[in-house]
Amino acid sequence: MIRRSTKIRSTIGASATLAVLLASQVAVADDWGTIKGRFKFGGAAPTAAELKADKDVEVCGKHKLLNEELTVGADGGIANVVVFVRDKDVKVHPDAAGAKTPVLMDNKDCRFEPHIAFVQIGQPLTLKNSDTVGHNSNIATLKNPPSNSLIAAGAESNLTFKAEEAIPAQVTCNIHPWMKGWVLVRPNPYAAISSADGTFEIKNLPAGDIELQLWHEKAGYIGEISVKGKSEKIAKGRKKIKVAAGDNDLGEMVLDANLFKK
Amino acid sequence: MNPTTPADVDRTRGHVPAWSIKIVLVLLVVIGTTGCGATPPAWFRLNMVEATKQKLTPDQERQVATLLTAMFGTPDDPVALPESGLDEAKLRLAAGPVRSDIVGRKNGLYREHCAHCHGVTGDALGPTAAFLNPYPRDYRPGIFKFKSTERADKPTHADLTRILKKGIPGTSMPSFALLSETQIDALVEYVKYLSIRGETELGLIRAYFELDDDAQGKLPETREFLVGEVLEPVAEKWKTAADALIAVPEMPPEIDLAASIAKGRELFYGDKANCVKCHGPTALGDGQANDYDDWNKSIVEWTKEVVGTDDKSWANRAHRVLDGDSLEPRTIPPRNLRLGIYRGGRRPLDLYYRIHAGINGAPMPAAKGTIPPEDIWHIVNYIRSLPYELDGELGADRPMVARDRF
Repeated sequence: MIRRSTKIRSTIGASATLAVLLASQVAVADDWGTIKGRFKFGGAAPTAAELKADKDVEVCGKHKLLNEELTVGADGGIANVVVFVRDKDVKVHPDAAGAKTPVLMDNKDCRFEPHIAFVQIGQPLTLKNSDTVGHNSNIATLKNPPSNSLIAAGAESNLTFKAEEAIPAQVTCNIHPWMKGWVLVRPNPYAAISSADGTFEIKNLPAGDIELQLWHEKAGYIGEISVKGKSEKIAKGRKKIKVAAGDNDLGEMVLDANLFKK
Repeated sequence: MNPTTPADVDRTRGHVPAWSIKIVLVLLVVIGTTGCGATPPAWFRLNMVEATKQKLTPDQERQVATLLTAMFGTPDDPVALPESGLDEAKLRLAAGPVRSDIVGRKNGLYREHCAHCHGVTGDALGPTAAFLNPYPRDYRPGIFKFKSTERADKPTHADLTRILKKGIPGTSMPSFALLSETQIDALVEYVKYLSIRGETELGLIRAYFELDDDAQGKLPETREFLVGEVLEPVAEKWKTAADALIAVPEMPPEIDLAASIAKGRELFYGDKANCVKCHGPTALGDGQANDYDDWNKSIVEWTKEVVGTDDKSWANRAHRVLDGDSLEPRTIPPRNLRLGIYRGGRRPLDLYYRIHAGINGAPMPAAKGTIPPEDIWHIVNYIRSLPYELDGELGADRPMVARDRF
């Protein structure tokens, strides 16, 4: 045991060297670039299955509930693809730092709106219930303490997170088991969730090399994308890009139907 | 121990690692000379579900095992780093094979009393685990249900002591009230040790994904990372557990019990507290019943992923892990409140804690913030009245099957 802990200590020197190496790589970036792009489904657009409300039928049964695991628009756009900058210590644009405006996650019509919410560390997430029935929001965070609070009809409560999560944390309602949503917690503003037409935009990134993390609830880490018919394998859903000052269009990224088979 | 293929790792996991055979040989020589029946050394099992889920390579699995041994020792020879906040002397009383020490004190308490269900590793994969319903607790995720602290917080030393002394009614967890205070204290410390070890292991396994490419798939073996970033955040939560107990106001003394019960009944069925949704219109636990607790849910969700994957070799490996390192998932029925059996304790205070904080790891949400303390007391009073309500009060419209379960 004594020998082993000495071994742990002896590697501190190595890590100090590493820290120096890393520090020298941090470029001074004063140029900022905005990235945008679109995710398109590679294959015939699937239709989302309808869900049956078997609890609180008199309220929830009035709404058309769909399985939102994979939402593809008529034009092939994939909604709810999560894109964020992987580097926790990335330089942050002065205008974008320290967001304090609460992000709303509403329990509305017996579903979560939005399906995926993005908050920064310290930024409040407002859990609201616009329905006339009670809900609860069970948030399965890994690095933050998990939480599960009742939210009475018409009520709302705020929650903040202390640590970033490597992937979105699932939000469920135990009373209405079909309800599923997600919360992404990151330490900076550099994240986006693709909208109904599959488009996304992240503003004011520091110019230079950036590693994006691509994730989708059904596909997990997106392992392959193809742009203009050229397929690219991306290990662990990490896509390296070069951000130039100004606008950067990543174009239309096609995600093959096979990625969503899970 | 230099296995090169996943198959080798599998072989070393369930059984005896190759290098330990040397130790066994040495021991055999010792036994040959002393003539006493020594127990072969015990090993912690790797969290194969998480390791396979995170697609660790055999090299990475070995690194996790090595790091954990360095930080926590072995089941026969536990180590408590100062940052863990654990008392190594207590751990030594609980660890190892059952035996008497030099002053005739019994050691190896965990293996004598706990390991057959909770497993040597505290992974709830002991030999009897599969036969129990509910399954024994897996300490490794660090989630405990019955405690005096807020939902996400760790239980206090006193909370775990209470569970050991009282047992958990309605489950296979018996009372260990016949053990001495010292022995119970040692066992509680050992449960904490296994839990901190298990959560550290999860932290290490999950850290691989976040490595940068230039780390070449290897975790940094620095004290700063292992102790500072992985162990300490876990240990800190245990150390501070007793600092933030749930503040329970006295039950209002002037309260009229019948009125309180009536108020509680209203809340039970109302859409603010919403107890009725899961515990059912009869309170027999016949509401929402197809949900899973966190332990089972993670297996259910992962199974879906394994079944859906195109990666056949990973799927084969994952299926082996599901067969050998997890139990068949079960749904968690909401508690039948008419039995008068309360797993987390039958004191009004225990029921207050359960309602206020919810039950960590289970679907039961926290009423904190939604239901004022006085109303929680009304619900407690109503729940306590339920086992003694007359059958007729269930209502004539209730199905017979529900009444049979009464």
